[in-house]
Amino acid sequence: MMRWMLAAGAAVLAITAPVAAQKGGHGGGKEHGAGQQKASHGSGGGQKADRGTRGGGQKAERSARGGGNDRMRGPQRMQRQSFVQRDDHQSRGRGHNEVRQESRGKGQAMKVDRGNRGNDNVRMVRDDRPGRALVRGNDRDRDLRVARFDRDRDEGVRFVPRWNDRGLVRGFVDGCPPGLAKKGNGCMPPGQAKKLVGTPLTAALGLSALDGPYRNWYRDNDRFMYRWDDDYIYRVDRDRGLIDALFPYTNRDYYYYPVGMTYPDYYNYYNVPYQYQSFYPDGGDYWYRYGDGAIYQVNPSNGTISGIAALLTGDPFAVGQPLPLGYSAYNVPFAYRDRYYDTADNWYRYNDGYIYRVDPTTQLITAVINALV
Amino acid sequence: MPLNKLSTGAALAALLLLGACGEKAGDSAPKSEAAKEAAGDATIAAGLGDATKFAAAAKQSGLDATLGGPGPYTVLVPTDAAFDKMPAGALDALMKPEGRAELTGVLTYHILPGAMLAADIGKAIDAGKGKTVLATMAGGTLTATKEGDAIVIADGAGTKARILGPDEKKSNGVIHRIDAVLMPS
Repeated sequence: MMRWMLAAGAAVLAITAPVAAQKGGHGGGKEHGAGQQKASHGSGGGQKADRGTRGGGQKAERSARGGGNDRMRGPQRMQRQSFVQRDDHQSRGRGHNEVRQESRGKGQAMKVDRGNRGNDNVRMVRDDRPGRALVRGNDRDRDLRVARFDRDRDEGVRFVPRWNDRGLVRGFVDGCPPGLAKKGNGCMPPGQAKKLVGTPLTAALGLSALDGPYRNWYRDNDRFMYRWDDDYIYRVDRDRGLIDALFPYTNRDYYYYPVGMTYPDYYNYYNVPYQYQSFYPDGGDYWYRYGDGAIYQVNPSNGTISGIAALLTGDPFAVGQPLPLGYSAYNVPFAYRDRYYDTADNWYRYNDGYIYRVDPTTQLITAVINALV
Repeated sequence: MPLNKLSTGAALAALLLLGACGEKAGDSAPKSEAAKEAAGDATIAAGLGDATKFAAAAKQSGLDATLGGPGPYTVLVPTDAAFDKMPAGALDALMKPEGRAELTGVLTYHILPGAMLAADIGKAIDAGKGKTVLATMAGGTLTATKEGDAIVIADGAGTKARILGPDEKKSNGVIHRIDAVLMPS
């Protein structure tokens, strides 16, 4: 156990070392990784309270453990994580505009904390990369402000409201406009995603059983098995060995499809996580479709989204994993509180349909209990 | 059976890690009927009351269905006066059809997983030596601190919202009314 933690820690340092080198030795990323490790060993409830690092530690450990499944997003996300960290330290207490530079391998993106929410004049300037844009604007305090667009998913909401005196200014934050599926670093046209359905499962994919919370959400059974890669979760028909359905691997960019939009045809498969299926069954009056933190209610007659039936965090709860950031407060549903309450030896935390038992000292999840109110 | 595999795997993991076995993971937790009744039949959606602007925003973004569903959620509900404090035109812009995605982001930033009472947040603040981080459905986090006895929730930009009034327990979670609109950033 300890060896695993040390190995993960070493891997975190290895991943973030190049970042530190690029930034002239700034140790933001390293500190973040080490901090997360320390939190696991430290006193209960003493998780590093830093907005920017939520979930990052788990990702680092996952990619360290993954071996063959090393997700390419890992190092990139760690890179961006370190910038978030640094910005938080600089801007905390000031809350004003900060210019940040971030290199993402292919290009540069400027980002600045939004600071005050006055009436800003913003002008959209289109970048050469599809789906991304820089916004330049003025306000009274500074000559130049660039709105923040390249955002790591752990920083939060993908669509951040911005408005000027002309109304809402829309920007796609690190994501794909509706109609394009996110694939790796680019945006894959939907036709290509759909083409994978009906094709045989490759050998490499065959080995990639779901990890983390998704193992409980999409359970292999006699008829289907679930496998994943960087981009999608695949449902495979065991008899024929063919991909039966696919949907985006939850990347938690929290792009909530707006009500009224047609649900993307290329992901139009019943994929409600296991623990919610009794509430949101297939074949009823509505179609239910899960995507990036929401179970959508879709009108079958016209395929449009009529509402959001449920919200899920998708946070990486799994036995053996550290309690994710943001769950220090007891939140067990009322119906279960008389049985699952915090003691010196055990904590209980609820998330996404399950109650998890946590060791307060190590902050590791020790058991998962099925629970839906 | 997947459930057996899950409980075996989890029990094994627990054994390896701690050498102690508590509940067998994978069992469905029995519900306490008394506890459920105490929470009442009204859902969060039905219990918004005076918060007409929040209710309208929830309807506009399709989250009224969420807040009427099984949840459970802890919802920080800004009062109408809190919405009035937003920059002029901001709420109108969000409430337009083209602002739906942004509106959903703002509202989900006020929705937390599970059922959390003010006392639970307070305990975590104390354990965290004066502050605790709260996970939200929007993906970002909020920071909670205490000012005297009151719990204050801050967003990423530093806007602070105070929890007004006692916990409002609902059948699918809790409502905490707050005096400012929190913004994801």
